[in-house]
Amino acid sequence: METGHRRRREREHDETPLDSTYDHAAVEAVLEAHGRDPARLLPILHDVQGRLGQVPRGSVRQLGRALGRSRAEIHGVVGFYHDLRWEPAGRTTLRLCVAESCQAAGVRALVPLVEELVGCRLGETSVDGAITLEAAYCLGLCTCSPAAMLDAEVVGRLDESGVRELVAAARAEL
Amino acid sequence: MTTVVHIPADAGSVAVGAEWVAVAIAELAAARDQPVTIRRPGTRGAFWLEPLVEVETPSGRVAYGPVAPTDLPGLLDAGLLDGASGHPLYLGTTDEIPWLASQTRVTFARCGVIEPLDLDAYRANGGLAGLERALAMEPAAVIDAVEQSGLRGRGGAAFPTGVKWRTAAEAPATRRYIAINADEGDSGTFADRMLLEGDPFAVLEGMAIAAHAIVADTGFVYIRSEYPHGVRIVEEAIVAARTAGWLGTDALGPGRAFDVEVRVGAGAYICGEETSMLESIEGKRGQIRPKPPVPAISGLWGMPTVVQNVVTIASVPPILAGGPAAYAELGVGRSRGTITAQLAGNIARPGLVEVPFGATLGELVDDYGGGTRSGRPVRAVQVGGPLGAYVDEDMLELPVDYEALAEARAMLGHGGLVVFDDTVDMAEQARFAMEFCSIESCGKCTPCRIGSVRGRELIEQIIRGEEVETSHRLLLRLCDLMEHASLCALGGLTPLPVLSALRLFPEDFGLAREAAHVV
Amino acid sequence: MWSELRDLREGVDLGTPPRSGAPVKVEVDGVEVTVPEGSSVMLAAMTAGRAVPKLCATDTLEAFGSCRVCLVEIEGRRGFPASCTTPVAEGMRITTESERLGDLRRGVMELYLSDFPAAELQGGWSEFHETVAVLGVDSHPYADRANHFALPIDDSNPYFLFDRAKCIVCSRCVRACDEIQGTFALTVDGRGFASKIVASQDEPFLQSECVSCGACVQACPSHALVEKSLFPEGYHRAESTEA
Repeated sequence: METGHRRRREREHDETPLDSTYDHAAVEAVLEAHGRDPARLLPILHDVQGRLGQVPRGSVRQLGRALGRSRAEIHGVVGFYHDLRWEPAGRTTLRLCVAESCQAAGVRALVPLVEELVGCRLGETSVDGAITLEAAYCLGLCTCSPAAMLDAEVVGRLDESGVRELVAAARAEL
Repeated sequence: MTTVVHIPADAGSVAVGAEWVAVAIAELAAARDQPVTIRRPGTRGAFWLEPLVEVETPSGRVAYGPVAPTDLPGLLDAGLLDGASGHPLYLGTTDEIPWLASQTRVTFARCGVIEPLDLDAYRANGGLAGLERALAMEPAAVIDAVEQSGLRGRGGAAFPTGVKWRTAAEAPATRRYIAINADEGDSGTFADRMLLEGDPFAVLEGMAIAAHAIVADTGFVYIRSEYPHGVRIVEEAIVAARTAGWLGTDALGPGRAFDVEVRVGAGAYICGEETSMLESIEGKRGQIRPKPPVPAISGLWGMPTVVQNVVTIASVPPILAGGPAAYAELGVGRSRGTITAQLAGNIARPGLVEVPFGATLGELVDDYGGGTRSGRPVRAVQVGGPLGAYVDEDMLELPVDYEALAEARAMLGHGGLVVFDDTVDMAEQARFAMEFCSIESCGKCTPCRIGSVRGRELIEQIIRGEEVETSHRLLLRLCDLMEHASLCALGGLTPLPVLSALRLFPEDFGLAREAAHVV
Repeated sequence: MWSELRDLREGVDLGTPPRSGAPVKVEVDGVEVTVPEGSSVMLAAMTAGRAVPKLCATDTLEAFGSCRVCLVEIEGRRGFPASCTTPVAEGMRITTESERLGDLRRGVMELYLSDFPAAELQGGWSEFHETVAVLGVDSHPYADRANHFALPIDDSNPYFLFDRAKCIVCSRCVRACDEIQGTFALTVDGRGFASKIVASQDEPFLQSECVSCGACVQACPSHALVEKSLFPEGYHRAESTEA
């Protein structure tokens, strides 16, 4: 399955103890479930984040050892994808679509209100750690723009009162 | 006797309250001792009527919509469960709603009609006929049929599907793969999502046919993380197809295994580009690979890989079932079959319209779409997603045809049409096009990595009124560079919305009309 | 190891690795050459004595196609393919110089220069500096702009340092680490304009998985990764006159 052009150098055995700030067993269980297959790195990272709420920086060493990959390789992959996060998100995540269809339906005017109600800018987490506010670039809900997702719950045809309800719902979920 | 009521479970329907309607109908009917069976199909795509409630009657399904939970007591009083006509939300027989009846549903024939995971209903509605016919044919004959149908990739590039399959089949290899691109990231598009959620077996059946044709044993469906409902349904459909025996060991005949795995994206628009998607499936950064080699020759793990968009692959079973000639009869020029246009943005009747190629943009926006939702005049329509050109009212006469749109410096892309009314600021839209490119650039090639940021900065200067003419000249030069020197279509096509906005709406940039015509 | 790697660069850099396939005849700017099948257009051009400018390509690494200064024209093909990633085909007619190509290449260089400290252009002798000279571009037209000039220098390694302000993100260092050494100690962090080369998990080279082999330094075309011995007085960023 290797596509590298040259042979991967045999890595000297890395004796560094694993960082104690995260749950090793959880990461181990994910690796086990995916058969330690490096070609399954993306599903593995999704599952680590699903269990731990983040990809702990310390887990990169554990993942690398198990998958026969360098820490740099794992780090580069996590850094590429916007969904994967080194730090945990807020307790709920509100993704507001700000792409063209929602722009045409007036989302630009709603952004300041959402930011005010949540108490942070798009791309940030509210100070109390309650809500992570994200800009989405299309949720595929373009027939009911402006649209948003509160965790996995979809909401469309947003207007000012809809935004107020949505943010209230986000807070109520805590 | 229990009455069967259909309420879509599509995310686009749920987002406007379909779930509440389903719960409320069950409760209210129970309270009235009127037994109902609630079915949850995908959506028919008439989103302006969502939540759409359909009731089975002896004379077919009768529709009501858009239904809010608060409408239900009145609807039940008015005889909803008998399909009675007395209520203002009564729409008549679903199949006779003109907006739907005038369409040519080939790829989306079952979407919204059957429950997505009901394999018996799938079969009863023409499902698996294509696969059965394909398996009775030699692989080469299947490729011939797909070629004869004239089917071209619906993801945007419009490459002939049969040619791609032949290339992959003839490339010497120990393994071959099928990879379905369900990373539908273009704003204004939702056709893939509708199929994933509403007719997942069609996607899997198309994949199995492709696997038979090119002799592949493994397939991937790469679905963006923004589509959690689609992910769940396709995963369940895979399990159901395995149980039924048409995925897994001996799926394509004795000793001919074919199985499918879902891969979920992780927030990268660029992974909708096929080579970037392949990198992502392999567990790498989603950076673009140079072409050649094309994936059909060297794709996943260096093996021949057929990469198809969701709509394309779901179009294959009906082509095999009904014969390629019937499909090729539809359409115009080199654009054969049907196009699934998606109407979005500021539009009165948003939804999915499947019609033969050749319909005009105006027919879609005005006749189907009913103009803007705000009631103000249409000023611009972005055709083909964030990398597609803006067109103005005069250009709505253009037919939906790959070649005709290309000639008009526009493109069809994945078929999304986003409508804007006359309050739109086209300079801001152009700025956003560059910003989007900079947010989603993989960072590999210089014209896209640095150029998109410079493009945004230049348009911001123009908007601020600084050195407008100089900035404009520089912007044109930069667009030319990005178009011709970028590694992939993200950098290469981002100039399309920018240049079209400049050409058609120079006044929004503080430019004189004649200044814009140098474009 | 250091001198060994330097030897790799002696003589002409063909741009892409040599191949050994059956002979293929092509025409470069009217000059007929025969190269093995699987060779790049860039290598054919080099063989014909018609060197094409390049930044991300070097013959010790597989072609990558990121810098876009090696664009050429090929008869019968649309657009301007990158010569490094395009394989030759029998009878191909290639043009390496035209007004249009010059314009596109200069446009790309202007983008590079818009994110390269102007003060570092004077007196440099890297491939980047050579390419700037060959293309005759020494300035860019972009005014207020985002850049990477304030990124810190990593001088943790005793033998070399990494000045990120001069990095052009061509990934030659990452690829050298992977393809030549098989160490995989470097990666690109982030994406788009925020892409930056990092060692392991964005840590100082000395603490990372880097084994100090020097392959990345040898590969760097812009002297962002550079031997400390070249600066006996110590390394200082050139004073910028820009705001």
